[in-house]
Amino acid sequence: MADISHPSAFPSAMRKLKSPALRRALSEPATVFGLVLVAIHLFLAVFGPWIATHDTSALVGDPMQIPSWDFLMGTDQIGRDYFSRIINGGRIALMVSFFGVSLALFVGTALGITAGYIGGRVDEIIMRIVDAMMSIPELILIAILTLALGKDVLALIPVIAIVYTWGAIRVIRAKTISLSMLDFVRAAELRGESRWAIIAREIFPNLTGILGVELAVRISSAVLRISALSFLGLGISQPTPDWGLMVQEAMGVVFTDPWFLLLPALMLSSLIVGVNFMVDGLSRAFGISSSELG
Amino acid sequence: MERTPHIDVRNLKLVYKTGSNSELTALDDINFTLGKGETLGIVGESGCGKSSLARAFLSYTRPGARIADGQLYVSGVDILRLDGSGLLKYRGGRAALVPQNPLSSLTPHLTIGQHLTELIRQHNANGGITSQQRALDLLAAMELPDPVAIYKRYPHQLSGGQRQRVVIAAALVAEPELIVLDEPTTALDKTVESQVLLLVARLQKETNTTLVYVSHDLNVIARMCERVLVMQNGKVVEEGETKSVFNRPQTEYTRTLIAAIPKLQHAKQPSPVRLADSAPILTVKGLDFTYGRPKNAGSLFNVFKRVSPPPTLQDISLTIQPGSTLGVVGESGSGKSTLASLVAGLVDGNEGKITFDGKPLSGLATGRQRELRRRVQMIFQDPASSLNPQHSVEQIIGRPLQIFFGMTRAASRDRIVELLEELDLPVTCLGRLPRQLSGGQQQRVAIARAFACKPDLVLCDEVTSALDVTVQAHVLGLMKRLQREHNTAYLFISHDLPVVADMSDQILVLEGGRIRDYSDTGTILNHPNSPYTRKLLEAFAIASGHIAQGNLKNVI
Repeated sequence: MADISHPSAFPSAMRKLKSPALRRALSEPATVFGLVLVAIHLFLAVFGPWIATHDTSALVGDPMQIPSWDFLMGTDQIGRDYFSRIINGGRIALMVSFFGVSLALFVGTALGITAGYIGGRVDEIIMRIVDAMMSIPELILIAILTLALGKDVLALIPVIAIVYTWGAIRVIRAKTISLSMLDFVRAAELRGESRWAIIAREIFPNLTGILGVELAVRISSAVLRISALSFLGLGISQPTPDWGLMVQEAMGVVFTDPWFLLLPALMLSSLIVGVNFMVDGLSRAFGISSSELG
Repeated sequence: MERTPHIDVRNLKLVYKTGSNSELTALDDINFTLGKGETLGIVGESGCGKSSLARAFLSYTRPGARIADGQLYVSGVDILRLDGSGLLKYRGGRAALVPQNPLSSLTPHLTIGQHLTELIRQHNANGGITSQQRALDLLAAMELPDPVAIYKRYPHQLSGGQRQRVVIAAALVAEPELIVLDEPTTALDKTVESQVLLLVARLQKETNTTLVYVSHDLNVIARMCERVLVMQNGKVVEEGETKSVFNRPQTEYTRTLIAAIPKLQHAKQPSPVRLADSAPILTVKGLDFTYGRPKNAGSLFNVFKRVSPPPTLQDISLTIQPGSTLGVVGESGSGKSTLASLVAGLVDGNEGKITFDGKPLSGLATGRQRELRRRVQMIFQDPASSLNPQHSVEQIIGRPLQIFFGMTRAASRDRIVELLEELDLPVTCLGRLPRQLSGGQQQRVAIARAFACKPDLVLCDEVTSALDVTVQAHVLGLMKRLQREHNTAYLFISHDLPVVADMSDQILVLEGGRIRDYSDTGTILNHPNSPYTRKLLEAFAIASGHIAQGNLKNVI
C-alpha cells in the first residue's frame, strides 16, 4: 500500500497534525475559506471594540462624511462612525445566537435522547408537543414571544432558544433512534447497565459530532433570523449597532448611497457562507453524513 | 483455432486519490485475455481490488478513483476511452453489471415492470414485440413464478432471491456480450444461492455470453468459472484454469485461501467427555415464541380483528452440556437469531421454559440477577455495530470487569492485557478506537469482551459471517482454544453449515421456527433425518466437493 503523503498546502503545519480527518479537512480549499471567514468574524466579535475605537452610538461628526483617517468608512446619516458600526454590528446578534442556540441544544438533546431511547408513551408525548410547536409560523411565534418577554436584548436569548429547541429535539431523537438499533446498545443492556448509564456512556458520546454541526449551522441561521427581526423592528433596536438594523436604515438612501446597504449585507452573508463551507467540509472530513443532519 | 480475444486487458492500473497529491494504487499492472463465452472468476480477500476491477469492465470508477494507465479492449474497442453516447450504448447494451445488493440497485418507488420496460425502450431491445411482453418473457426466463404478478410488484415486495433474478433480467435486456457479476449471491441463503447460480450458468451456456464473476467464495467460483484470477493487494498473484489453480496452487497466498475454507469432511468428532451425562448448562423445553402476540388472542371478540402473526419459534427443546458446542443452522427467517435473543434476554416472553444451570432464565436481561448476566454472554454478528465507535479497546473490555468484578481502572488493566494476549491482539491496541482496527481484530475485541466476564455460556450469532475466509479460520481457531481452556459452552448460530460442523458437537437444524433435525454432528452429516437437512447438505457438499475432488465442470 502506498502511504498517504501530506498535501502540499501547508506542508510543515500539516505534518504536525495527527488527526487524518483534520488533515483531510484542511486539504480542501473551500473548507479553509470557510474556516478563515468564521475566524475573522469570531475575532471581530471578540475584539471589535478594540479595533474600532469610536463609540458606536455617539454622534461623532457631521452626517454622511466620506471616508477619512478619522472615520475609515465615513459617517452615517446621523453622524455616527460607520466603520465602528460595521465591525461591531454582528457582536450582539452572535452573542444572543450563541447563548440562545446553546440553550436550545441543551434542552433539545435532553428531550431528544429521552424520546428516542426511552420511546413509547414518553416519545409520543414529546413528539406531539414538538409537532404542535412547529406548526406555529415562526415569525408569529417570535412576535408573540417578543411581546411577552419585552424588547430587551437579553430577552432575545430565550426567544431564540424556544424557536430552535423543536428542530433540535427532532434531529437528536432521529440520531438516537438509529444509534439505539446498534448492537453496542444491546451489549450494554445485556450487561445490565441502567438506562441513564446507556444514554450517558453509549449514546451521548456518539452525538457530539452532530451537536457540533447543529451548533454552528443553527447559530448562523439565528444571526440571519435576528437580522430579519431587527429589520422588522422586533429584534435589536437603536442605538445598538446591528447589520439587520443597518440594512433597514439604508433603505432610504439605497439609490444614492448603496454602500450603506451593501456593507452590512456583505458582512452578514460572509458569516453565513463561511459557516456553511466550514461545516460542510468538517462534517465530510469527520464522516458525519449529511443525511444525519435534520 | 486462434482468434483475437474477446476481452484483452493490458497494463491496467487504477489509483485512488487520498489527498491533494497522494494516491493509492488499487489495481496494479493487470494483464489477461478472455475468449468469447468464457467464464472468469476473480477471487481475493476484501480490499484486494476485485470490485474495482469488476467495475472497470464497465468503464466505471468509483468517485475519487481514476484509471492511471492501460487499456481494456472488448471486441477490439478500448472501452476505457469511450465517452458520451458511446459509453451509454456500451453500458447495459454490450456489457452489464449485476451488483451485490439488489435492493439498493432497484428504485423503491418503481414497479419491476417499470424498471424493465424503461431499460428495454432505452436500448430499443424489444425485438418486434411490445416492451411489456419482452419484460414478461425475460421474467419468465428467470424462472420466476407468476411473471405477471412480479411485473406489477415493487422491489420491497420480493424476496432476496427474486430481486436478484430481476436484476439479472435487467442485465440481460439488451443481450450483452459481457456480464459482470459482483458478489451477486453473497447476501442470499445457501439454497437460494444454489438456485441463482444454476440459473446464471444455464443462461450463460444458452447465450454464450462472456462472464466475469467476482466473489470471495472460492466454492462459488469453482462451480461457475472455467478460469480464475487470484488477486492480492491490487495485483494478480495467480491465474489459470480453475481446476489446476485450486488443485495445484502455485503461490502461498492461494494455498492459504483454499486451506481456510471450512470443509464438511473436516467436521470434528464429538468428544465423549464433552457429551457425557453431566448436568446440562442450558436446557430449553417446549419453547414457543411469537413476536407481537396480541394480549387477548383467545378472546372471541378478536375474531374479526387482525390475524395474529405466525409463530417465530415452535416447540423448541434442546440441551447444551458444559464446555460443548451446539450449532444452530437455518436460513434467514428460520428463527435462529430469535432463539439467541430469548436466551440472552434481549426479548421477553420465554415463559420460564429456559433453564440455565438448574435456575430459570426468564424475562429480560435487565431483570436477571447480576451473576446470571455475567455467566451468559453474547457475541454479535457485526463488530462494527457491537463496539461503540467512541470507546477505546481498553474501555470496551474494561467495562464488564468494572461491572461484574468491581475492578478499578488500574486493576483491570492487567486483566485486559491478559485477554488481549489470549486473543492474539497486540497490547498497542489498548488505546485504539474500533475504526482503527481491522474487521478480524474488531471481532476479537468483541470476543475478549465476552470472555472478560468468565462466562459459562456464550451465544455466538453469525460471528464470522462478516469476515474473510482466512480471518474466519483464525477467529474460529481462537474460539476453540478459549473453549478448551475455560470449559465454556457455545450456542453457535450460523447459516454456514461447514462452519457449524467444524465448531459443534451437536447440530440443530431450524426451518420456519421448527426443529427439522437435532443430533450429534456426525449423525447430521452422515445420516440426516429430514429432507430439509439433506437439501442443505447438498447445497454445501456440491460446492465444497469441487475443490477437494477436482470435479469442477458440468455438474450444474
